[in-house]
Amino acid sequence: MGTQVGPRARLFGGLLLWYGVLGGAVAWAVHLMAAWSMDELACAAGSAEISALPLWQAVGLAVIIPALAAAGALAVAVLAWTRMGQAQRSGASDNAYGRTRLLAAVGIWANLFFLSIIVLGGVALLVLPVCQR
Amino acid sequence: MSTTTGKPPGASQEELSRLEEHWGERPSLRAWFSTVDHKKIGRRYIVTAALFFLFAGISALLMRTQLATPESGILSPQEYNQLFTMHGTSMIFLFATPMFFGLGNFLVPLMIGSRDMAFPRLNAFGYWVFLFAGLFMWVSVPFGSAPSAGWFNYAPLTNLKFEPGLAIDVYNLGLLFLGISTTVGAINFIVTALKLRAPGMSLNRVPLFVWAIVATSFMVVFALPALNLDNLLLFLDRRFDTHFFDPSAGGNVLLWQHLFWIFGHPDVYIIVMPGLGIVSAVLPAFTRRGVVAYPLVVLAIVSISILSFGVWAHHMFATGLPQLSYSFFSAASTIITIPSGIQFFAWLSTMALGRLVIKVPLLFLIGFLVTFLIGGLTGAMFALTAFDQQVTDSYFVVAHFHYVLLGGAVFPMLAGLYYWLPKVTGRMYHEGLGRWAFWLVLAGMQLTFFPMHLYGLFGMPRRVYTYRGDLGWDAGNLIATIGAYVLATGLLLVLIGVVHAIRRGRPAPNDPWGGDTLEWTTASPPESYNFPVLPQVHSLHPTWDERTAESTGARASQDRILSEGRRTLFTSELDARYERAVEMAESSLIPLVLAFWLLIFFISMLFSWWLVAGVAAAAVVVTMGVWLWPSRRPAERAG
Amino acid sequence: MTDRGGIVAAATGAEALSTEEPVGRSTGWWGMVLFVATESTFFACLLGSYYYLRFQVGPRWPPDGIGNPELVRPLIMTGLLLFSSVPLFWGVRGIRYGRRWRLRAGLLATMVLVVTFLTVQATEYVDDLRTLTPTTDVYGSLYYLITGFHSVHVLGGLAFVGWLLAASLGNRFDPQHYDRVRNAGIFWVFLDVVWVAVLFTIYLSPRL
Repeated sequence: MGTQVGPRARLFGGLLLWYGVLGGAVAWAVHLMAAWSMDELACAAGSAEISALPLWQAVGLAVIIPALAAAGALAVAVLAWTRMGQAQRSGASDNAYGRTRLLAAVGIWANLFFLSIIVLGGVALLVLPVCQR
Repeated sequence: MSTTTGKPPGASQEELSRLEEHWGERPSLRAWFSTVDHKKIGRRYIVTAALFFLFAGISALLMRTQLATPESGILSPQEYNQLFTMHGTSMIFLFATPMFFGLGNFLVPLMIGSRDMAFPRLNAFGYWVFLFAGLFMWVSVPFGSAPSAGWFNYAPLTNLKFEPGLAIDVYNLGLLFLGISTTVGAINFIVTALKLRAPGMSLNRVPLFVWAIVATSFMVVFALPALNLDNLLLFLDRRFDTHFFDPSAGGNVLLWQHLFWIFGHPDVYIIVMPGLGIVSAVLPAFTRRGVVAYPLVVLAIVSISILSFGVWAHHMFATGLPQLSYSFFSAASTIITIPSGIQFFAWLSTMALGRLVIKVPLLFLIGFLVTFLIGGLTGAMFALTAFDQQVTDSYFVVAHFHYVLLGGAVFPMLAGLYYWLPKVTGRMYHEGLGRWAFWLVLAGMQLTFFPMHLYGLFGMPRRVYTYRGDLGWDAGNLIATIGAYVLATGLLLVLIGVVHAIRRGRPAPNDPWGGDTLEWTTASPPESYNFPVLPQVHSLHPTWDERTAESTGARASQDRILSEGRRTLFTSELDARYERAVEMAESSLIPLVLAFWLLIFFISMLFSWWLVAGVAAAAVVVTMGVWLWPSRRPAERAG
Repeated sequence: MTDRGGIVAAATGAEALSTEEPVGRSTGWWGMVLFVATESTFFACLLGSYYYLRFQVGPRWPPDGIGNPELVRPLIMTGLLLFSSVPLFWGVRGIRYGRRWRLRAGLLATMVLVVTFLTVQATEYVDDLRTLTPTTDVYGSLYYLITGFHSVHVLGGLAFVGWLLAASLGNRFDPQHYDRVRNAGIFWVFLDVVWVAVLFTIYLSPRL
């Protein structure tokens, strides 16, 4: 790693950390809105298709894509957490590292929660018929 | 360098008198109406919220008296409906949230080492709007036209056809009016916590109470619009014949429920979260150590506030939607118990690892742990769709949410009341009186609400004004009524304790408990400028930390005394690096004037005085223009 | 490629990850952003309600006897509103360099465009009201509430900009103090984004 960190890399790093902290939450919000509204509205309209796609596949996409996004956020949070640990062990006393480590720790756990909620939704999709009332 | 005790040597006598000159207010009628001091506004919020608590509590006692025996005729069905609606609406909207906003108002600037809130005038405005909106709703009671469709006001029961008259409009307009106050208060908390923290207080050193208030505020910002929209739509339906909730013209009554619970479930956490924050704030002083696993508690606060938005449909498991769409919400409802559990075990571990100091605030915390645990357990039962469908709208639900709300909000509130009373009033409370109050409140609470679980399971529906004698509900109801009076006696003792402390209490030292957060470094009650020297924070427990103490003493520097005006500090958002000193707003009557015009606006909307409403709306716009008119600042103060 | 790889490595280093972002904003900026956030949530709920009700009504939307909303005037309005941000931002940039005349000219041009927007909206309402009123059915209720509520915000924006113009004529803004002007810029982005969402929902989605 270079000693000089450019402003673009800094901006990117700062935003990347936020992806690591909140990425799972955003992915879950998208998953919930997409999966729920597709299911409820399509079934209310009496069809099991969205455009030409079968409903279960459409809902499946609304599970898999957010799950991948949440897993990515989890990886970033773990990365940030270990990097801060290394930096602190190598004797850096900058409090920004402590702050970042806290956010990364919060991110790791939060992403685990949100990832497992999305996965549980996926399990329900495998078990339940899409429009059963 | 040492001067009198309590006056840190950091700031000179001359600087202190300059600070007092810029921040202090001479008592006068005008000063009373125009103050923007966050401590005074915080006290007003607390007193006003307590007043609405009293009204709502009396409503509850009347209801319990009616239900003590089968088929009693103390209240008519109409009166009963109005009472339970006003009880719920007031407890949720006019008591719980404003009470916490009051505590937050008083404490957040003190805890983060600032001299005021970010927007002092907006703060005063928020209070006046709260007061007016609360009165707007309660004045309907003596006229016999109080809302009567339950606190969640479901359509189609509330459509004009079934509820003629003004009662439902009072609900719609009152909550829209109140929403202004809650929203501006929440924004103010967030901005204050982001920009006004003392230098060095990076996010990993922010007190848990402040985290809780900020998380609550974020929930308000994103949840309240759904309620506002709901109320707007219903008002339009009732007054202007639109068809949002009218199935005969393409509308849908379930829209009300969706929008209401998009708001409503976060609102459960909006009410409970600051209470949990109080627990985390009070515990260190009485266990002589910091809360265990600070990062995990922060995690719990953050993730609960996000997850709370994804569980709303679980209030509607009984409405007949596709099973699969429930399951997405069921997953979230189940997972949300994990962060709640994390927080719970963090407190238990703190108590196990610390050295307990048994005083009244700690007693209330223990009462909270027991009560909230029961509420949480019955809550987890609702996540199972099958069980939920069985007990929906029975007294089991009433028991559940009273355990959650009394346990999660009122017990921590009382713990906080006794804990911060010395700071707010400068007087100590009477310990024996406090203990009596605690035991009566705890016993009364269990006696009132525990039997409800049982007769709820036996089938008694909620919101019935009376019941037949042969259904096996008599004994439970009688016990609940006795419990309600015991609870009321306990709360009366709390009030007596407060009055006694103010009148007769011995003077409180700055830090009677050995607390860990910055409010305990200020005088009791705090000076008008809060801190003679704004501290430089070096740890999560600044009051227990030598270097932070030195920063306001021997190492005080001019850039943190700032006695040259009504000034405080901006620091950076995440790491709280020193940015600049800023001039804060002075007292003003404009917030009161603006709130007054809004009151006129809402009253005229209620009675369809369109011309007056138009004039009031114009006055609101003009007042805002005057309020925000940029001042011509001297060039040297630039930046 | 190596350069890009270098940036990724640098951006995932401890120093870059601990960069403060956001940083250095004023309280006014945060207040405005949060206000816009809560208002946007309101519009999101409103548009969500539209789709919710629409999909429950059935396959015919707008319901029987009501034609699709016209498209020409809304597209003109879109152009007007989006274009009105240009002079506004041009003026905001101007005051950053102390050019007061530029701020005034920009605010004035914005006001002219917004008044035109509202006028076109009014003519559209006049035509629509012959066949559709808010009380016709739920479609009419939604149509007028959504467009009308957005117009109320545009009207508020107009008052805001007019107020700024009055203040700037009194020389109240300079490169150090233009928080309020910049906040108008934030509000304008909000108005534009919400309008695009309204355009899509009300005028385009029934044609899909």
